Amino acid sequence: MGPFRFSDRTLAVAIGLFAAGYLVLAFDLPDFTAVQVPVQPATLPRWLGAVLLLLAVLLFFQRRDPEAGVGADSAPTATTASPGPDARLGRIGDTRLELALFAASIAVYIALLEPVGFLISTAVYLAGATAYLGYRRHWVTGLLSVGVAAGLYFLMSDFLNVALPPGPLPF
Amino acid sequence: METLSHIGYGFGIAFSPESLLFVLIGVLAGTVIGILPGLGPMSAIALMIPIAFGMDPTTAIIMLAGVYYGAIFGGSTSSILLNAPGVAGTVATSFDGYPMARQGRAGKALAIAAIASFVGGTVGVALLMLIAPVLARFAVSFGPAEYFALMVLGLTAVVSLGGKNLVKGLIAAVVGVMISLIGIDSQTATPRFTFDLPELYEGVEFLIVALGVFALAEVLAMLARRGAGGADGTVSSLRLTRRDLARIAPATGRGSVLGFFTGVLPGAGATVASFLSYSAEKRIAKDGHTFGTGNPKGVAAPESANNAAAVGSFVPLLTLGVPGSGTTAILLGALLVLGVQPGPLMLTDRPDVFWGVVASMYVGNIVLLVLNLPLIPVFAKVLKTPKAVLLPLVVVFCVVGVYGLSFSVFDLWLLLGFGVVGYLMRQNGFPAAPLILGLILGGMMERSMRQALQISSGDWTVLVTSPVAAVLLALAALAVVGPLIARVRGGRGGAADGTEGKHDRDTDTADRR
Repeated sequence: MGPFRFSDRTLAVAIGLFAAGYLVLAFDLPDFTAVQVPVQPATLPRWLGAVLLLLAVLLFFQRRDPEAGVGADSAPTATTASPGPDARLGRIGDTRLELALFAASIAVYIALLEPVGFLISTAVYLAGATAYLGYRRHWVTGLLSVGVAAGLYFLMSDFLNVALPPGPLPF
Repeated sequence: METLSHIGYGFGIAFSPESLLFVLIGVLAGTVIGILPGLGPMSAIALMIPIAFGMDPTTAIIMLAGVYYGAIFGGSTSSILLNAPGVAGTVATSFDGYPMARQGRAGKALAIAAIASFVGGTVGVALLMLIAPVLARFAVSFGPAEYFALMVLGLTAVVSLGGKNLVKGLIAAVVGVMISLIGIDSQTATPRFTFDLPELYEGVEFLIVALGVFALAEVLAMLARRGAGGADGTVSSLRLTRRDLARIAPATGRGSVLGFFTGVLPGAGATVASFLSYSAEKRIAKDGHTFGTGNPKGVAAPESANNAAAVGSFVPLLTLGVPGSGTTAILLGALLVLGVQPGPLMLTDRPDVFWGVVASMYVGNIVLLVLNLPLIPVFAKVLKTPKAVLLPLVVVFCVVGVYGLSFSVFDLWLLLGFGVVGYLMRQNGFPAAPLILGLILGGMMERSMRQALQISSGDWTVLVTSPVAAVLLALAALAVVGPLIARVRGGRGGAADGTEGKHDRDTDTADRR
C-alpha cells in the first residue's frame, strides 16, 4: 500500500461530485443561434458529464478490486537494485509529507523560473533537491547542477532557438 | 512496382546524413530513457518532443520513431538485469530474462533480446510496407461517420485492454475527452470551460498532460517507493553460439508475425503482443515446462513480438490518422503540431514523411543492433544513476519541455497539476493511456461527429447506417461489453490467459501501447 490510496467508494463520490460540477458548467454553456448547427457546443460536454456520473455510480457499486491501485511503478520491485548505504530517498519518515514537500519544491522552482531566470533557478533547484534527497557527493552535485542548467540553456537558446528566461543574467 | 519506387525514395531520405544522425540520436535517447524503470516510450517521446519542434517534420518524426523503438529495447535491458521492466511491453521478457541473468547469463539474454528485437522490427517493417498502402487505399473512402466510429473503437479498445478495471479505464478516457474540449470551440467560437482565463482559450496542450501524467507522476511514484540506490548493472559475455541462434530462430519468427498483427489492432499494442507471443511459445515449445526458469526462447518470443507490434501500431496511425495506442497518440499529437496530418492521403500528400519514416524504421533497427549490442554494458551503467540525482533531472526536463513549447508559466502550473493527478491515478488503479488517447481523439471525434451530422442535416442515424461505421461501432461496443460479460460469468476480466492474469499487476496501464 502506498500513500494517497483511497477506497473505490471514496473515489466514486469524488468523481461523482466532479461530474455533477462539470454538468452544471455544461448546462450553463450558451447555445449557438447565429446559424443552425446540428451539434451545439454544449452537446458533447453534457453527454460526457452524464456518462461520467454513470461511471461514478458503477464504480461505487462495483465489487471491491483487491488489486486496485497498481501502476507502472508496480513492476516487480522485490529485487530492485542493491540499495547503497543511503538506501532511502528523502529525509522525512512520513511519505505523504515527503511527497507534498517535493511537489512544493517544484512549485517554488516554477514560481522563480521567470523572475530569477532559468540558469540560476534550475541550478539551485537541481542542487537543492539532489542534496535533500540524500546524494552526498556535493562536489558532483554542484558540477552537475551548473553543467546541466548551462548545457540545457545554451542548447535550447543557441541550437533550437527556444528562449528560456534569462533573469538578471546578461546572457 | 510503384511501392518499390516509393521504398527506394524512402531509403533515399533515410540514408541522408541528417536522417541517419537523428535516427542515431533518437535510438540512443530512447534506449537510455527506456532503461530507467517506469519511463517508457510515452515518457521518452514526450520528453523528446520539445527538441523535435525545431526540426523539419520528416526529420522530427524519424527521430521520434527512433526514440520509440529505442525505448522498447531499453525496457528489455532493465527487465533482464533488474526484473524491473522499464516499460510494460517488456514485462514478459523478464519472466525468463531475469532468471537467465541470475544464472550468470545476463549478457546472453541481452544479446538474444537485441537480435530478437532486430528480427521483429525488420519483419514488422516489411509487413508495414505491404499492408499500409492497401489499407490507405481502402481508408480513402472513409467519411466522417466512419472516422467517428473508428475513433470510438480506438478509444474503447485501449480501455478494454488497458487493465483490469474497465470502469476506471472508461473514467480515464472520458476525462481525457473532457480535457480535449477545453478552449474556444472551433465551429461556434464559444469558450468552453476556460473560466475566463486567456491561457486556456487555445485548449490544453497534450504534451503538458503527457509529461505530467507519465514522467512527473513517475517521479513522484519513485519518491514514494523511497528506494534511493542505483542498481548493479554488471553484464557478462554477450557471445551467442550458432546453436543458441538456431534454438531461438523459430520462436523469433513466430513472435515477429504474431506481434505485428497484434500491433495493428487498435488498443492491443506491444504489451498484449509480448504476452500473447510468450504464452503461445510456451504452449508450442517442447521444453515449455522450463519457461520461467531461464529459457532463451522465453526472451526471444516476447522481444520479437513487442518490436514488431511497435511497428504494427504505426499502420493505423499513418494510414488512418487514428492512433491505436497511447504512444502512437503522443506521436500523432507531435505530427499535428509539426503540421503533418496523418491519414489515407498522407501517402500522396506527404510521401516523404510516410516512406521516410518507414525506411527509417528499418535503418533504426540496424542502428539498434549495431550500436546497442556493443553498448549494452554502458547502457547498463545508466541503471546505477542514484535516484536522488535522477528525480530532479526528470523534473527539469519536463519543465524545459513545457516552457519551450509555450513560454508560459501557467502551463508549468498545469504540468505540476497533471503530475499530481497522474500520481493519484496510478496509486488508485486508473490507467493513464486512455486519458491521453481521449485527449488526442476527443477534438477529432467531435469534429467528425459534427461533419457527419452536417452532411445528414442533423439525422443521428447516419452514425450507424454506413456498414463500415456500424461494424466499427459494434466492435467498440463488444470491446466494452465483452469483458463485462466475462466478468459477470465468473471470468476475472482482463487477462487473456493465465500468464497474463498473474502478471496483470505489472502490465501497467501507463505504458499500454
